[in-house]
Amino acid sequence: MQILVNGIVTGLTVSVLAVAFAIVYLPARVFHVALGGIYAAVPFVAWAILRAGWPSGIAFAIALGAGVIISLACEAVNHAPLEKKGGASGAHLVSSLGIYIAIVQVVALIWGNETKVLRTGLDAVNRIGNVIVTQAQAIAAGVSLAILVAFYAGLHFSQLGLQLRALADNPKEFALRGYNVRRLRLFAFGISGFLGGVSSLLVAYDIGFDPNGGLAAVLLAVVATIVGGRLSFWGPIVGGVLIGIVRSQVVWYLSARWQAAVTFLILAVFLFVRPNGILGTKARLEAEES
Amino acid sequence: MNYLFHLLIYLNIYAIVAMSLNLISGYCGLLTLAHAGYFAVGGYAYALATVKLGWSFIPAVLLGIGMSSLLSLAVSIPAWRFRGNFFVMMSLAVQSLLFSLLHNWSSPGAELGTWRNLTNGPFGIAGISKPVLFGMKFQAIASIALISLAIALVCAGICWLLLSSPWGRLLKALRDDELAARGLGKNTRFIKVQVLAIACGMVAVAGALYAAYVGYIDPNAASLDESVLFLCMAIVGGVGNFRGPLVGAIVLLAIPEILRFVDIPDAMAANLRLMAYGVLLVVMMHVRPQGLAGDYRIE
Repeated sequence: MQILVNGIVTGLTVSVLAVAFAIVYLPARVFHVALGGIYAAVPFVAWAILRAGWPSGIAFAIALGAGVIISLACEAVNHAPLEKKGGASGAHLVSSLGIYIAIVQVVALIWGNETKVLRTGLDAVNRIGNVIVTQAQAIAAGVSLAILVAFYAGLHFSQLGLQLRALADNPKEFALRGYNVRRLRLFAFGISGFLGGVSSLLVAYDIGFDPNGGLAAVLLAVVATIVGGRLSFWGPIVGGVLIGIVRSQVVWYLSARWQAAVTFLILAVFLFVRPNGILGTKARLEAEES
Repeated sequence: MNYLFHLLIYLNIYAIVAMSLNLISGYCGLLTLAHAGYFAVGGYAYALATVKLGWSFIPAVLLGIGMSSLLSLAVSIPAWRFRGNFFVMMSLAVQSLLFSLLHNWSSPGAELGTWRNLTNGPFGIAGISKPVLFGMKFQAIASIALISLAIALVCAGICWLLLSSPWGRLLKALRDDELAARGLGKNTRFIKVQVLAIACGMVAVAGALYAAYVGYIDPNAASLDESVLFLCMAIVGGVGNFRGPLVGAIVLLAIPEILRFVDIPDAMAANLRLMAYGVLLVVMMHVRPQGLAGDYRIE
């Protein structure tokens, strides 16, 4: 039971990151690898501001703001011009990877390569039945759930959410009807930066952070997206929670060092048995990529 | 003079890597980030075969090629279903898998090279012997440079033979329109398995050369940074012909050497080098997506 709870908490943070990935991938068809850079940079910004003696609320807000700005800059400087030139999807991915590397190296140059923590001292513990939940875990679960609920409410009941879903469904027709695709894409990137920052801060508050973990986290989010179903906005959540649960079981029954191996084993199984994920509808991969 | 030989050896290693990547990205249309993993597999196979089993150069390299080709199934089977972005992510997964294998397959106390401690974990394998060929030990740097040049030329010859054959034309057809190639009755899945096995075997040769020259190998040879460096070669130089990979290898070899002569503190040099690769990727995608001397634009 304890392991299951740990898994769900981890899974929820993965879900938030997976949603951050999907919110860019589905409407804009851009693999937002630079999200890993945001994931790496945001806790460092928060840490630096906390060290300067500012209250934590302001520090986290500024850090999230920095995440959003980086994400917007990715779209404004890189993806939008590439899209205008008719760049291939591979070009988007490679340049995004380049941005990720550059961000991580800048972070490492400024703040060093060591693992850092956002809080000091032991964590407070709450006991619910025979399950122990640390305060950091409780915060992570609560904030993730609140953010996910707010996100899906926005996606399904607001005008912007409807537009995002329309853009994901059929970008050409959406543009033909006179909506401003460029502004909506910017909006999607901004949301993505925000969600990625939230996920990163929650994980960093729980277990600490270093500059090199970003891409692994995004990779996990991509796996969650594929397992859950690539073409659905709900897929990332299902996949994220599933992956979190499985990974925590692996730590308990095998060893933490084989977490990555088991994660990709799940992925391989899904690719062969159900390539469109749990919530996916049947579609051919080759047809979509072009 | 030794410095020039050193550069020549690295150039040969990089050229072999770039040629093998050219097979994958230039003639298969797939971008892979797992290549450093196979590079390291070749290096580790060579290291273990020479250190533990006392094999000479050729059988040890052949072992590396075999291992690497076998493991290439890990990227070629996903390639059946995935193209484009999702394949890149798959290859990234394979890279992190290989890295974690090399990094974790150890247990304290057990002897190196036994089943419980195959790779010696993060400490790597030291004291790898210089190439032993036909009973002779090639100790001098000039002779190693000669061997590496010979091997690079052999690899280039193999590439040329393969790509100018009907098989090479089929590969191009597969890259440009997979559905049409399949419609003509070609077994595209098997072709992908073949190409990736050949390319991964070739990069294993480069890994073995690296291990033999440096005399030490650790899991960082399989790290993402290495993979990005390799990918940079393919993208900066360009793919789809013979000039591209060579240009890429030369440019990517030149960048750290130039940084070495500019006066930068050592602690920052590694970060700056990686940053330069990242920026290079972005700039190339905007300015010249087919690379400096390439024929084929990654889709």
